[in-house]
Amino acid sequence: VSTARSFETLVLPHLDAGYNLARWLLRDESAADDALQEASLRAFRGLGSLRGDEARPWLLRIVRNACYSYLEAQRSKRELSGLDSDALENLLAAADHLAPDPSEQLSRQQVRVSIDAAIRSLSPPLREVIVLREIEGLDYAEIAAIASIPIGTVMSRLSRARLRLRSMLDHANRPTQAFDGGHEHE
Amino acid sequence: MVDMSMNDDDLSNLIHTEASRYTASTRLRSALFAQIALAAATQPDPERAKPPAKAPVAATTGLRGGHAGASASSGRRFGWWSASIGFSLGVAMTLAALLVVPVARPPGSTANITRALDAELVADHVQSLQVGPLTQVISTDRHTVKPWFQGKLDYAPPVLDLAQEGFPLAGGRVEHVQGKAVAALVYRHRLHVLNLYVWPSNTPYTTQKSQYQGFTVMHWSDGNMQCWLVTDMDDAEVARFGQAWRAQRGRI
Repeated sequence: VSTARSFETLVLPHLDAGYNLARWLLRDESAADDALQEASLRAFRGLGSLRGDEARPWLLRIVRNACYSYLEAQRSKRELSGLDSDALENLLAAADHLAPDPSEQLSRQQVRVSIDAAIRSLSPPLREVIVLREIEGLDYAEIAAIASIPIGTVMSRLSRARLRLRSMLDHANRPTQAFDGGHEHE
Repeated sequence: MVDMSMNDDDLSNLIHTEASRYTASTRLRSALFAQIALAAATQPDPERAKPPAKAPVAATTGLRGGHAGASASSGRRFGWWSASIGFSLGVAMTLAALLVVPVARPPGSTANITRALDAELVADHVQSLQVGPLTQVISTDRHTVKPWFQGKLDYAPPVLDLAQEGFPLAGGRVEHVQGKAVAALVYRHRLHVLNLYVWPSNTPYTTQKSQYQGFTVMHWSDGNMQCWLVTDMDDAEVARFGQAWRAQRGRI
C-alpha cells in the first residue's frame, strides 16, 4: 500500500474536521488554510506513527499543534492586540446585528451569529474543548489526547467554557442597551 | 430561546445544531492534494526504492542521516519513516536536479531535444506543484476554463471534461514552454495531479511515453494539437487518461 493511498483512506475523511478546528482556533480563513496545509504535510510525513490509533483524533492533534504554532508566531508579532479585546469587539459587533425589538424572536441566522461570536470570544484553550466536544462530538479521552491535557482538565475547561457561553448568550439575548458601557458602535 | 436556565445538554444541543461548522473549500483541497501528490512523488517509495542490483543498504540509508543500523529488512518501515527528517532536503535536491539538468544538457539529436522537452515539462510540473500557481483559472467546468484562454494564447486549446472517467478538471494556466506561451490544463486523479500541456501541431498521430525523474511524460498528437501529459500516476492510469482524452476528442 502506497503512502499516498493510506493518506487518502485514513486522513482525507477527516479533513473537514481538521479544517473546522483550525478555522475555530485561528478565526481566520486564510490562516486556517495555511494551518491545514502545514498539518496535512506533517500528517503525511508522520503516517507511520498512526498505528492502530484512531485517525481522527490523531489528525486533529496535528492540526491543533499547527494552529498553536501559528498563534504563537502571531502573538509574538503583535503583543499589544490581546485576544480578549478582539473577542469583546466581535461579540459587541455581533450583538449589534441582533433583532432590534427584544420581543421579536431571534431568527436562526441571528442565533448562529450570536453563538458563533460567543464561541469565538473564548480563549483558545476553552474554545478548542467546546469545538471538539460540541461541534465535532469527540469524547473526553479523545479531547485529552488531542490537547495533551488530563481528562480532568478537559472536564473543568468544558464547564468553565459552558459557564462563559451561557452568560454571554444571555447578554446577547438582551436588548442592546445592555452594552451601553462607553461603547460607540455606529 | 437563549437563557441562563439552559442546562448543559440544552447548550450542547444548541451549539451542535446552530454553531457554524466550517468545511475545507475545493480550492484548499486541490492545493492540499497537489502538495501531498508532490510529497508522495518526491519521497522515496519504500517499494520502488528497492535497489535493483542489491545496492548496499548502507549506501541508500547513509544519505538519510545515519539510520543504516535501523534498516535491516524487518526494520525497513521504521528506518524509512524515521528518515522523514531528511524529506525537506530530499525535495530540495530533487527540485535542484530537475531544474539544473535540462539546462546542462546540450541539445543535439532529435532524441535529445525530446528529452530536453521532457525535462522542461517535468520541471514545470514540479514547480507548479511546489511553488505554484498550479492553476490561474480554477474551475471544474470546461466552459469556464476554455474561454479563459481567449486572448492569452494565439490558438484555442481543447478543454475536455473527463470527470466521468475519473479525471476531474481542476483548472488551467498559461505556461512558457520552449519560449512559447502554451496552455497547461490541470486534471486530478485521486491524489495525483496531471498537467496536460497542449499546443498546435500538424504532425500526424504519434504516441510516446517516457520516464523522467520518476514522472511519466506521455506525448501524442491528433494532427491538430499535440498533448504532453506529465504526472506521477501509474502506467495503467496514464494510458486510461490518454484513451479517455482521444475518445472524447473524437466525439467533439
